[in-house]
Amino acid sequence: MSAVTTSSAAPKARNPGIPAQARLLYATAFIVPMIGLAVFFLYPLGLIVLRSFTQRDGSLGVGNYADVLAMGHIGRVLGNSLVMSGLTTLICVVLGFAIAYALQRTKLPFQWLISVALILPLLAPSLVQALGLIFLFGRNGVINQFTGWNLQIYGLWGLVISNAMYALPQAVMIIQASLRHSDVRQYDAAMVMGASPWRRFVDITLPNARFGLLSAGFVCFTVTITDFGNAAVIGGNYRVLATEIYAQVVGQMNFNMGAVIGIFLLIPTLLAFYIEKVAAQRQSGGGSESAIPVGRNLLAARDIPLGLVSHLTALFLIAVVATVVFASFVSLWPYRMDLTLRNYNITTQGGYAPLWTSLVVSVQTAVIGVVMLFALVVAQRRLSRGAAKVVYLLAIVPVGVPGLVLGLSYVLSFNVANSVLGMLYGTTLLIALCNFYHYHSQGFLTMVTGIRTVPPALEETVTCMGGSALHGLRDAILPVMLPTLVAVFFFLFMRSMVTLSAVIFLITPRLSVGAVSVLRLDQAGFTTQAAAFSVCIMAVVLSALALMKLALWLVSRRPAAHVTA
Amino acid sequence: MHLEIRNLSKFFGQFQALANVDLEVGSDEFVCLLGPSGCGKTTLLRIIAGLEPFDRGTLELGGRDLAGLSAQHRGFGIVFQSYSLFPHMTVAENIGYGLRIRKAARAEIAAKVGQLMELVHLPEYAQRYPHQLSGGQQQRVAIARALATDPALLLLDEPLSALDARVRAELRTEIREVQRRLGIPTIMVTHDQEEALTMADKVVCMNAGTIEQIGTPHEVYSRPRTRFVADFVGISNLLEPARVAALDPGVARSQPAGGAHLLALRPEDILVNPDPAGEGRVDAVTYLGNINRIALNWRGLELVAETHRGLSLGSGALEPGARVSVAVAPQAGVWVLA
Repeated sequence: MSAVTTSSAAPKARNPGIPAQARLLYATAFIVPMIGLAVFFLYPLGLIVLRSFTQRDGSLGVGNYADVLAMGHIGRVLGNSLVMSGLTTLICVVLGFAIAYALQRTKLPFQWLISVALILPLLAPSLVQALGLIFLFGRNGVINQFTGWNLQIYGLWGLVISNAMYALPQAVMIIQASLRHSDVRQYDAAMVMGASPWRRFVDITLPNARFGLLSAGFVCFTVTITDFGNAAVIGGNYRVLATEIYAQVVGQMNFNMGAVIGIFLLIPTLLAFYIEKVAAQRQSGGGSESAIPVGRNLLAARDIPLGLVSHLTALFLIAVVATVVFASFVSLWPYRMDLTLRNYNITTQGGYAPLWTSLVVSVQTAVIGVVMLFALVVAQRRLSRGAAKVVYLLAIVPVGVPGLVLGLSYVLSFNVANSVLGMLYGTTLLIALCNFYHYHSQGFLTMVTGIRTVPPALEETVTCMGGSALHGLRDAILPVMLPTLVAVFFFLFMRSMVTLSAVIFLITPRLSVGAVSVLRLDQAGFTTQAAAFSVCIMAVVLSALALMKLALWLVSRRPAAHVTA
Repeated sequence: MHLEIRNLSKFFGQFQALANVDLEVGSDEFVCLLGPSGCGKTTLLRIIAGLEPFDRGTLELGGRDLAGLSAQHRGFGIVFQSYSLFPHMTVAENIGYGLRIRKAARAEIAAKVGQLMELVHLPEYAQRYPHQLSGGQQQRVAIARALATDPALLLLDEPLSALDARVRAELRTEIREVQRRLGIPTIMVTHDQEEALTMADKVVCMNAGTIEQIGTPHEVYSRPRTRFVADFVGISNLLEPARVAALDPGVARSQPAGGAHLLALRPEDILVNPDPAGEGRVDAVTYLGNINRIALNWRGLELVAETHRGLSLGSGALEPGARVSVAVAPQAGVWVLA
């Protein structure tokens, strides 16, 4: 509790202090999310480390590591993962920069088309890209069928393409943000000093985007090295860590070996996470509050190739998702292309029940997430600088933990008999909590950005006028934070609808979610039904997206959208 | 009521933000805390408001110890530089906020709000939102809001610093009028010496966490006690005792005993006249509209003088290098602690 005061060196009598009610409020706002992080993130993660050192006879040691390393293929699997993610990251960063630049700095026509294309991969579970690729280029894909070629899409290249499609929108978003914050005056100054367009690009644009590029690379590497959906559907014989861990745990019930591979998965991610943090600290400064954004212009030599690359990529993304949608209405791909609704009559794998479960889970994730994250940032504002930094670090560590590792750690922690924690296993609540902590960091960072827009003087005004801490929350913080809360709510909802890698471990015969259904239907050979189910998920997420736009529009029309100071 | 601060000190870690501050604010006094940024003036205001704890000393209002009382329960009014109006509330709702928190009757709130809006000359803006008002209007609303609960003390934290020069001048007079009419003891923080001199009953000059001088605007300008005050409130020529001999014997009274002193001479007390045979040489002239500021060298002293245009220079502009005769006004000069 002593951490929840405004200053550390405050002796007894001279400190007017915080009234008891406020103290209680801030303490609750601090302690509840912290307990959440401890029980649903740190404890499971600790357990996975412990289990990786627990040998078959129950003693502690590095036996599991030795066993895993002794497995002949593990080196190859690790290498495969690194090669696959490395290639994907390279493609995403290069393409992402080109597209972000086109969207942010050029007058290229039909930019809306690129923007729409980039939303598509966010609407569906990652394996939908793989599904679409298979419909197009697979053994029974339209291309092979109608040309008589023998394209091999299964394996490294299929995996790289589908993962690149999945990660590209995130790369573009990050790089675009870094381009947006440049100041036109830097360019004007350089031009006045005689720098050519190319020099300006090399001396200003690239250095300013450096951090964005690094961040994008980090995100692409992390999400693809741990992605399970695409690897399971299109990986074929090209085995990667994500499929290996699943095989060890679900196939052979070898939890300790799974834990070891989980640790292996953590290493590259945490390394990338650390490098990015260090780089982020160097990047400070530069951009000023009053930066004047750089305008757009038209430059044929630059824009024709740029437009070609951007639009072809966009068309490819659209084509793949459109193929999935189309395939969902086809009776037998690619042999009988007559249209039918039969695929939507899904009775196997629990029918549509998992879709409703997903909906329930996603609402729970969003509600829990918004409440916990809001409480955490409100409490964090009161902490001393050091304590706030610790909370910040703890809150963003989850981004470095792959979904698969988190999911496995949940099985180890909560699939236990005779325990309070065990009672959660098999409930939607546990899946919701898993999803929340999976996306904790992104939600937290959005909240932190949001609460920074609340002027501290506004809260102090409430206090000086005799308002309690609750008044401050209601009248100073909430009205300004509302758009942020809406954004975080829908972010968590949409991610929770489509995520696969963590929840794959948490489903039970009685409780499954939509993304898993798509995987199971595909693995059972009902590919068009898998497509139909994906379309249903996309419809739900698309509706959520529309609702969010509506909510944000309504929120932006309120007077509180104009914060002075 | 009467605010009394005794021997108050405040530390931020190892850094001492305030050192042994003593200050009294009378029951209807307007006090300005004046000093450069980082001098501790805002910290002192925040301690008085209860927004910041302090480490040593006492803080009493009307004989009642404030140390154990939280900001929420002190019943003071506060106005920040950034207006800090509630963006989602209308002007009337903003002003009535403190009363609503106190669960006052609806009719009572309406009456008080109407009265205050008259007071700050905004009666027709009741249903507007803050973003529909100009900066000056928003700050008026903030002042009305602070006054609504009949505060025992009004605290103003650089309330005019974000405003245009013209609006600032208008509001100076308005704030002072309202304060006189209501008779509320008021403390205002500012770094603008002109603001402090025009508004305050009492100016508190602060530097590096200590109070250098407390006095009426006239006192701090004409009889600065320290080198800092002489230099921060207006500008001064600060002369070492050894150099004072260069002045005419009538000007330099004997140096007071105890501690090192400097002689502070206001630029307007140095009279400059163009004179080809004069002992002074002009180094630079800064044109300030109504006055000229002249840097000159005279009997080995570097001095700054100010003259009203046309008064002593005739029609001919004074150029650098020109010879001038220099005289120091009788009775000019104050000895200040170095």
